[in-house]
Amino acid sequence: MTRLLPARLADALARRFNYDTRSAMLFIAPVMTVLAVVAVFPIAYSLYLSFFKLKLTRPHRVPFVWFDNYIDLLGDGLFWSSVGRTVYFSVISVTAIAVLAMLIALLLNETFRGRRILSAILLIPWAIPTVANGLMWKWIYDSGYGALNGLLLQLGWIDKYLIWLGDPDKTIPLIANAFVWKEVPLATILILVTMKSIPADLYRAAKVDGANVMQRFVHITLPSLKPGFALVAIYETMMAIRHFDLFFILTEGGPGEASHVSAWHVYAETFRNLSFGTGSALAYMMAIVTFVLAYFIIRTLGRRI
Amino acid sequence: MSTKPAGYRYRERPRLPDLAYKLAIFAASVVLLTYVLAPFAWLVSSSFQTEAEIVSVPPHWIPHEPTLENFEAIFFYDQEEVTYESRSKADPASGGYIPSTAKSLLPAMWNSFKVAIAVVILNLLVGVPAAYAMAKIRFKGRNASVYTILTTRVIPDIALVVPFFLVIKNLGLLDSLWALILTYLAITVPFTVFILVGYFESLPDDLDKAARIDGCSRFQTLTRVFLPLAVPSLVAVILFTFLTSWNEFLLALMFTQTQAAQTLPIIVASFTSDFTISFSFINAAGVVAVIPPVIVAIMFERYIVSGLTAGAVKG
Amino acid sequence: MARIRFDNVTKYYGNVLAVDKLNLDIRDKEFVVLLGPSGCGKTTTLNMIAGLEELSEGDIWFDDEIVNFMPPHKRDVAMVFQSYALYPHKSVYENIAFGLAMRKYPKAEIDKRVRDAAARLHIDHLLDRRPNQLSGGQRQRVALGRAMVRQPAVFLMDEPLSNLDAALRVSMRAEIKELHQTMQTTFVYVTHDQAEALTLADRIVVMKDGIVQQLGAPDEIYEQPRNMFVASFLGNPPINYLEGELVASNGRMAFRRGGLTLSLNSEASAKLSGQEERKAILGIRPEDVDDRNEPVEGGAIHGHVNFVMPIGSDQFLNMKLEGEELFFRVGKETRHRNGEEVTLAANLDRLHLFDPETEKSLLWD
Repeated sequence: MTRLLPARLADALARRFNYDTRSAMLFIAPVMTVLAVVAVFPIAYSLYLSFFKLKLTRPHRVPFVWFDNYIDLLGDGLFWSSVGRTVYFSVISVTAIAVLAMLIALLLNETFRGRRILSAILLIPWAIPTVANGLMWKWIYDSGYGALNGLLLQLGWIDKYLIWLGDPDKTIPLIANAFVWKEVPLATILILVTMKSIPADLYRAAKVDGANVMQRFVHITLPSLKPGFALVAIYETMMAIRHFDLFFILTEGGPGEASHVSAWHVYAETFRNLSFGTGSALAYMMAIVTFVLAYFIIRTLGRRI
Repeated sequence: MSTKPAGYRYRERPRLPDLAYKLAIFAASVVLLTYVLAPFAWLVSSSFQTEAEIVSVPPHWIPHEPTLENFEAIFFYDQEEVTYESRSKADPASGGYIPSTAKSLLPAMWNSFKVAIAVVILNLLVGVPAAYAMAKIRFKGRNASVYTILTTRVIPDIALVVPFFLVIKNLGLLDSLWALILTYLAITVPFTVFILVGYFESLPDDLDKAARIDGCSRFQTLTRVFLPLAVPSLVAVILFTFLTSWNEFLLALMFTQTQAAQTLPIIVASFTSDFTISFSFINAAGVVAVIPPVIVAIMFERYIVSGLTAGAVKG
Repeated sequence: MARIRFDNVTKYYGNVLAVDKLNLDIRDKEFVVLLGPSGCGKTTTLNMIAGLEELSEGDIWFDDEIVNFMPPHKRDVAMVFQSYALYPHKSVYENIAFGLAMRKYPKAEIDKRVRDAAARLHIDHLLDRRPNQLSGGQRQRVALGRAMVRQPAVFLMDEPLSNLDAALRVSMRAEIKELHQTMQTTFVYVTHDQAEALTLADRIVVMKDGIVQQLGAPDEIYEQPRNMFVASFLGNPPINYLEGELVASNGRMAFRRGGLTLSLNSEASAKLSGQEERKAILGIRPEDVDDRNEPVEGGAIHGHVNFVMPIGSDQFLNMKLEGEELFFRVGKETRHRNGEEVTLAANLDRLHLFDPETEKSLLWD
């Protein structure tokens, strides 16, 4: 492959690196270039932008303001309340996901007729585009004609139609429900994979030792699932923190500020207020938070590499 | 229970625990099926209802007068010109309000498809050699490369938006599919590499050595020996990349403004902000948007699971 | 009391027959070894004793009770697994104590038993460690300890030594034998290693394809194998086989192939008299020849030495005779050379004869 390069460059490389390293470099070059352009560059540029006051309403006055954007953000009440809402959303989502994933994984770990079909059907929520997911739930939650109202009315749990997404107290849990519904399949697969790697002999030994089903679950299954749980918790937290699509489709950050989470805040600042400077700063801060979380993921994975 | 002679109590399989177990599994399966399918079923059911029926209180779970008119509007969009006149004349209760963007649904789907295919091809071209190198070649900086690539996915999409927007705007690419293709690479390539590296690592090292002794260059080793063996993971990568690209919303929202370049999720989302909403039509659009990925996912379920596990279990 | 009886027990996995009408009577305090190649059904049989597998047909008795579907924890058995199956998230102490804790023994009793067993197995200094901090041999002892403290009626072991290195394996065999003496309990032990079976067992059950080939004391199985499979499975290096036929010679019966004639001893001759020209397969073990003394009439083996493999105390001779390749073991007094023509004296009391079609022994049943 070095035939592609000009002769002198090829020679210089050949002298410095052996065949293996040269091949490796060539094979990796495309990936690294692509990622440098589409991943590394935006981060660097984002950081750069965050030091300027850039408002698209006044595109020619771009003063360099050091950390002013960050300070403005930190002083903004909306920023902090949106962080709070993000945390709230993430905590309830991830908890629900972890619990549901484990229950479903327990079921799918048993062998029974129709299990394959069930697994395949389980993938439906994962495959659905987030947009379609949002639409679907928006229609279900609809205050005038939605299925949720209809169902509850028929069950007799309410006596007239309620407002769902429009109620500030209910907004985030409802969005979380839609988010959880879509994320559960992937989380289940991750937990199921960990479950399947638990050696069967451990359960046999426990049976001989006299442990019943509940005891086997507590003493063997749960402790062995810890790395799986950690992975799911961290990954889904990352996903929850940066999630945007549902907030756009279901509530557009409202009503009022009821679902104004950090991801929405970035969008609002950048595309509604057209303040690219603060938008970048906020995006950059979110990037740092997710980076820290990802560090923990890679460490958890790293223990198994 | 009949009393058996001493010592014969455990001769037959006890019925009760066996039954209880089977019952529990059945009940749990039904609950799971309901949880997964009920919302989806409601979506499908709604799409077959007329506007008049869909606003019933309480809702008709199964359409009493199923109709295909919503789907007709989508697929035969060029047959009925929807103008302001024809819309304002129609009575909401009789149904038939089709958003003006309806006729861009299928073209948008075609856009989504073009983008997805391009992203898949580029992912494979770029990711496969890199994954092979990182899995099988010992070189300085191998671990660093792996970590770097994984880390890039850490960046939330939001952070990509602003810098990309400015660059793309300045390059004049704002409304083209290329903007999407390039940015989608950022969100798909790291995962692709992750899956492929995991799978390649699980293939025996000895094959690599044998091939090179037999005279293959590194590239030939990759193409002739490892690629055929890696088919399951390649399938998984194609699926993941295709689905991610098909479903992506945020970046497409930012970078495309006219229907020339808009992809399916954007069009579908735009229905919700259209002031004359035809509920049943929206649901039909949702169904159309959903069917391809769902079919793909169900057909290739085995590959999806094994593609994920190859990476996660082997590390 | 811990008698185990298999009464026509059959086990299917789907359509695959794993164990075929097994009839077995294991006596109290006996050390029984289930021996055979992989897939012969020995582990399945062990699992059925433990209650980890359900039988398809037949009955299994523990003393006077049928235990077909009795769950494992009611059966008073303890088991040592090939993979040890130690609970990775528990300490060694907790691992050993687990079975007792599940059965709600008082804490003082548990503590006493655990420490006693640990002391006996020399792992008392490891009680606070986790399994992943132990060596293979140490893990094996923990697995033994876990089974020991239960003081069960039946002690089951599934190839417990196969993951250890050779030296450790030999020393552990002795310890297990000693354990059996001390505990005075029924032991059922599964292995594919014939040497292990011969050293440990009171009785050996040789299995193949789910069927018992032979059942008896080690010496009996070694010296009087009932078919060719058993004859070749026990003994290392394995028995030599030669096809030929029976002839009458000098008032006795003999085996002949080409130029080789070996007379049978009086018992064998009596049993097979009148069966001239019957086709037979001769079995002769490598150690049943001698190169020091002159062979008697009808007891000589002439052959060509292909190569000699010295192994410290003896020599192995790879020999060619009558068109076949055979292996013999002799002492070192006479140094043999490659290419030599050599005459060995066969031990005529140790000849085996088999029917070529049924592969059954013509001498013993």
